[in-house]
This record gives sequence, C-alpha cells and structure tokens, in this order.
Amino acid sequence: MAYIGRDTDKISNVEVLDNITFDGSSSYTLQKGGSNFTPSSANTLLVSINGVVQAGNFTVSGSTIDFGTAVAGTSTCDFILHYGIGLITSVSDGTVTTAKLGDSAVTNAKVNASAAIDYSKLNLTGNIALADLSATGTKDATTFLRGDNTFAEAGGGKVLQVVSTEKSDTFSSSGTSFQDITGLTATITPSSTSSKILVLVNISSGADNGYKYGFRLLRSGTVINEGDSASSRKLVSIGLHSGSSISFESSSIVYLDSPNTTSSRQYDIQGSTEGSNFYVNRTYTDTDAASHMRATSNITLIEIGA
Amino acid sequence: MADLHKAIRAIHNSVVSINGDTQENIVAKDNDGNEVSINWSSVNAWIDPDTYKYNREQEYPSIQEQLDMQYWDKVNGTTNWEDAIAKVKADNPKP
Repeated sequence: MAYIGRDTDKISNVEVLDNITFDGSSSYTLQKGGSNFTPSSANTLLVSINGVVQAGNFTVSGSTIDFGTAVAGTSTCDFILHYGIGLITSVSDGTVTTAKLGDSAVTNAKVNASAAIDYSKLNLTGNIALADLSATGTKDATTFLRGDNTFAEAGGGKVLQVVSTEKSDTFSSSGTSFQDITGLTATITPSSTSSKILVLVNISSGADNGYKYGFRLLRSGTVINEGDSASSRKLVSIGLHSGSSISFESSSIVYLDSPNTTSSRQYDIQGSTEGSNFYVNRTYTDTDAASHMRATSNITLIEIGA
Repeated sequence: MADLHKAIRAIHNSVVSINGDTQENIVAKDNDGNEVSINWSSVNAWIDPDTYKYNREQEYPSIQEQLDMQYWDKVNGTTNWEDAIAKVKADNPKP
C-alpha cells in the first residue's frame, strides 16, 4: 500500500537527495537538484539500496559518500534522505555576484582561452612592462617597436654622432704650398667601418684684389676632396678669386666620406694662395670700421649609420 | 692699431702663416711649419704703407656712380667726376 500523506521532502529539515547511479565505484557525489550537497554527517543520512536501508557502512566527507567497498552498477539506489540542515556546495547558474568573489580570486586559468574581451572593458591602470609585450627582437636602448611587432634598430641613414668645431679668430697665409688652417679641424671616431662621415665646412675668407686662392679637405693627412689632375693646375676643393681687397667670401665644402675604420680620424682644411696673402674670418684690408666685418668658419662631421 | 698680420709679414720675411688676433695669442710659422719668434716692438711700430690705398678704396664713389658722373660731365661739360676723384686722393695722400 502506497504511502498516504505529505511527501517526505516537505517535512521540515528533511532533504530528499538525488538518487545515486552506481557504476562499481565505492564513493559517489551527493547531489540535490543537480547541485553538490554536503550533509551534516553520515548519521544524518538515510540511504536505501536494493530495498535495504544502509546503516553504519558508509562515511561522508564533504559531498562525497564512501561505502568502503565497490557498489555494483546493477545496484539500485531507492532513496537518500537527509535529516537536518545540509549545505548545497554547488551554486546555481548565474547567481554568483561580484561581492561573492574575493580580491585576486579570478586567475588567468579561469578566463576562457577563446573569450573575446572587448577592448572597452580594459580600463588599464599602471604601466605595461616591456616584458609583457609579445613583440620579438631585442628590447634595449638602441631598438624601436616596429609595425610588424618586432623590436629592431632604426633603418639605415640614422645620425650616430655629430662633431663640430668653430673657428672665430683670424688666420692668414702667404704660402703657395698648402698650409693648415689653424683651428679649423675636427676629429671623429666612427662607431662602425660601414659608417659614412658627412663633412660640412664653411669658410669665411678674403684676399687682395685680383688674387686667387683655394682650400682643400684632408682626412688624417690625406687629401680626400679635390679636382681631377689637370697638368700643372693646382687642385683644390674650392677655388676663389678676390674681386676686391675689402670683399668677404663665404664658401662651403660638402663631402661624404667613407673612412672604413673605427679608429679616430682628423679632418683638416688647408689653404693655398697664388700671390698675395689670403685671410680667414677677415677681409684683406680689415680696416677698423663697421664696414669691415669679422666672421667665423666651422667644420662639422656627421656620422651616418649604414 | 696696425694690421698685425701684415706687420708681422713686413718684419719677418720667413713667415708664411699666422693665426690669432692679438699679441698674446698670435702664432706665426714659416713654410715648414716652424714657429717664428716675433719682434713685437718692431711689429707694433710698423706703419702700413698701403693705408692710403685702403682709405681711398673706402671713399671712392661706386663704379656705377662714377660712370654716371662721367656721362653727365660729357653732356654738360662739367668736371664733377674728376673733382670727386681728386678730392679722395688729396684727402688720403700717398706717403
């Protein structure tokens, strides 16, 4: 005769747990409504298997019940009742609130690998360390992050160093052979044998009316910039012809040198005249009046990386 | 003050190159690059014989002005150009 009366799961403090489907194991997970359930103790459970109420032959730990021996898969769980207050250890879907999460509780492993987190959700604070970037290549003071997500040095043509010397005092020479222009010199040590040295020279000069003179560029004693040999003609980088003893000439030498060394190299300017004296940074006449100016000359060396 | 570079060359024939602006920092060298000892008392006493040339060059009218003066002198029978040149020469006599 069937039981007549209120369902047992309606009795106060009685929980009807899900029946266990045995599979030959000795321990199983207790659940209620599909969620794990932790009983108060083994003594608060009433378990019936194959029509036999079990007593004293199982233990519980958390939501796991252990019968101490394998329970055949052919066995049938008739019912499991829990008397008292148990604990459902598995929460329902969509019920965990932010407040329930502890600080630092969400680890990287908890984020789905395919989760498409919208960029707008990343309100980042603090700094992103270089080590956090996925970009490959060497990350140091000489490299930059390129568009292909690679750290690399800048391309060719970069300026590696600049050396410059300004001459502000005056110089004169009557030499028909080339003479060093005192103070118009600069020294550079290339960082690579493949570097180019762009030499920029500006010379302010003067000579007596009608006289010719010229300048040439040298690297460590070797002339590196002059015209092609042409019989007895003097070879220079720049040649000048004074139109007046009070005239001032501003002339330039621009030369791209390939020293092919990492040793120190000195660049010098020499001058030569064919007759009267030539002057640097002043006119020939150099009358003490505002109309006769004093000027500067300079030499600049720019190392260009290959 | 005299042009020290010119004065040094006038006093010391062996000097080829000179660098510097004052008695304190000027260095003069011969054709072989050897420094030449300067007789400063002689250098400072030197008077540039070409000073009158420099002064005249400063005071002469420009070539354009002189051509214009010569044209009008020829048209009008005047001597303005000749007078102007003569005045510059008289003001800066050759020693």
